Amino acid sequence: MPPLNYFVVESPDPVGKDAYERIAADVLQDLDLIKVIDRLHIYVDPKIPLFVAAGLLRHMPRAIRVSDFANVNPGEKEIVLDISEEAYLAPLLRILWARFGKENVDQPDRFTVVLPAGVIGQKEIEQLVVADPSETLYKDVIYALQYIAPEGFKVRRQYIREGKFYYVASEDTLPGDIVERVVAPLFEKMGVTL
Amino acid sequence: MTTLVPVTFKGGVYRHDEIMDLIDDLGGYIVQKHVMAQDVVLQSFVPRDDIDLIREIAKPLAGTVTEAPLVGTEIAVVSPSLEIHHLPHTACDIAEYLRRSGAKTNMVGLARGFGKRIANLNDEERDVINEHDLAVYALGNFEECIQRKFPALRQGIHVPIVVTGAPDRDALIRIIDPPVEGYVGGVGRIMHRFKRPEELAKLDELVDEVSRTLDARRDTLAKDPLSVFPPRLMAIIEDRIHEVSMLTHPTPVTAQMEGLRVKLPYDSYADDVRSLPVTEGVTVGDIADVTPSRMRNYILIRIKPFSETRILV
Repeated sequence: MPPLNYFVVESPDPVGKDAYERIAADVLQDLDLIKVIDRLHIYVDPKIPLFVAAGLLRHMPRAIRVSDFANVNPGEKEIVLDISEEAYLAPLLRILWARFGKENVDQPDRFTVVLPAGVIGQKEIEQLVVADPSETLYKDVIYALQYIAPEGFKVRRQYIREGKFYYVASEDTLPGDIVERVVAPLFEKMGVTL
Repeated sequence: MTTLVPVTFKGGVYRHDEIMDLIDDLGGYIVQKHVMAQDVVLQSFVPRDDIDLIREIAKPLAGTVTEAPLVGTEIAVVSPSLEIHHLPHTACDIAEYLRRSGAKTNMVGLARGFGKRIANLNDEERDVINEHDLAVYALGNFEECIQRKFPALRQGIHVPIVVTGAPDRDALIRIIDPPVEGYVGGVGRIMHRFKRPEELAKLDELVDEVSRTLDARRDTLAKDPLSVFPPRLMAIIEDRIHEVSMLTHPTPVTAQMEGLRVKLPYDSYADDVRSLPVTEGVTVGDIADVTPSRMRNYILIRIKPFSETRILV
């Protein structure tokens, strides 16, 4: 797999180690997260039992604004939005409907949205935030780790902030100092401190 | 006595009824018929000596006849849960591959089959698995987990078991005590479709292991044969109880090695099935136990052996 800068799976069970390397690679590929995750260290020990994944994100995607996927053409009577990327059309329409009312938002075809002139300035609409992929990215990363971890490990602790994330799971109650004792050393191996 | 062998016929819809009539005329039985768009697959038992004749007649219709060792068996594929961790790959790929060899497979997703300490099997799951001819357990990656949880998952199961897991075959044999009937190593929790040659080879190994186990069971059965051959009883039921033809199940009557599952409500039809004449003076009730199935409200027929009934139809 993957163009991750650092990808290590550790386990006392050599068969399990190979299997989890494949599982992690498959899951990250399926969820399209390979480009997002920079470094990942996984430790699984079924005897304790414990699953720990720690890693760094490559970069957080920035918020998507109207100018990223549409051309704004202000006219005398109306403002025409020429949509080039349809993926963000639905959230855009939702915002416009809430703000200006459905009767003022016209959509003559799939790639055109027309607003009455004067309701909003050109600069303002271009800078309008339509979606924030980082919100769903957090969920995606945590979902991927839940998906990779053994299913019986239902007790878990998760963290994702400022480009660092970890996910600890076990079948039994997790000790209070698990992060300092187990997770922090994994970050040290990757050359960063938690 | 003619020996009936399990075969699969694959061909087009066009004139496939001729093949069905031929199998019927030769004294064979069609256990399952699948029509998929233009294609037809018939899982059937035919006399060994007549396979070449069927091949010859099927040739102009572009039909092929292949041996299918698992025809007439119902196999449970047991997955520790129905979560994304275990499905669709591994369990579904195994089920699909067994179906290609002629088996009727049912997926049994356990409610609490995950976790080495907390895994367990409830009475409904146990009874449903026991209604099959064989259970394939699709287990995971760690030796430790399989060793700890498998005793709980097999509790009360008396049908033959084939275990798959990531540890190699020798490791599985070492950790599973008491031993089960079959082991396939190198197939653990896999998160992609089985498509590489080595993965498909593992599935072939599984089919071999399952057929070996079932052949052993067939050999035992041959020593004390059943009072009636299940596909024959199946043909009688399909012929006499016309409601069966109105069911929308892919297999309204499912053939097993030692019985049948009839997908009609037990309360309304059990007496009709019991009193159904198999041959002159012999009814189904004389040669089989007609019991309610734990699977929905179906009827489960267990055919008694000759030694018990002194009747051989």
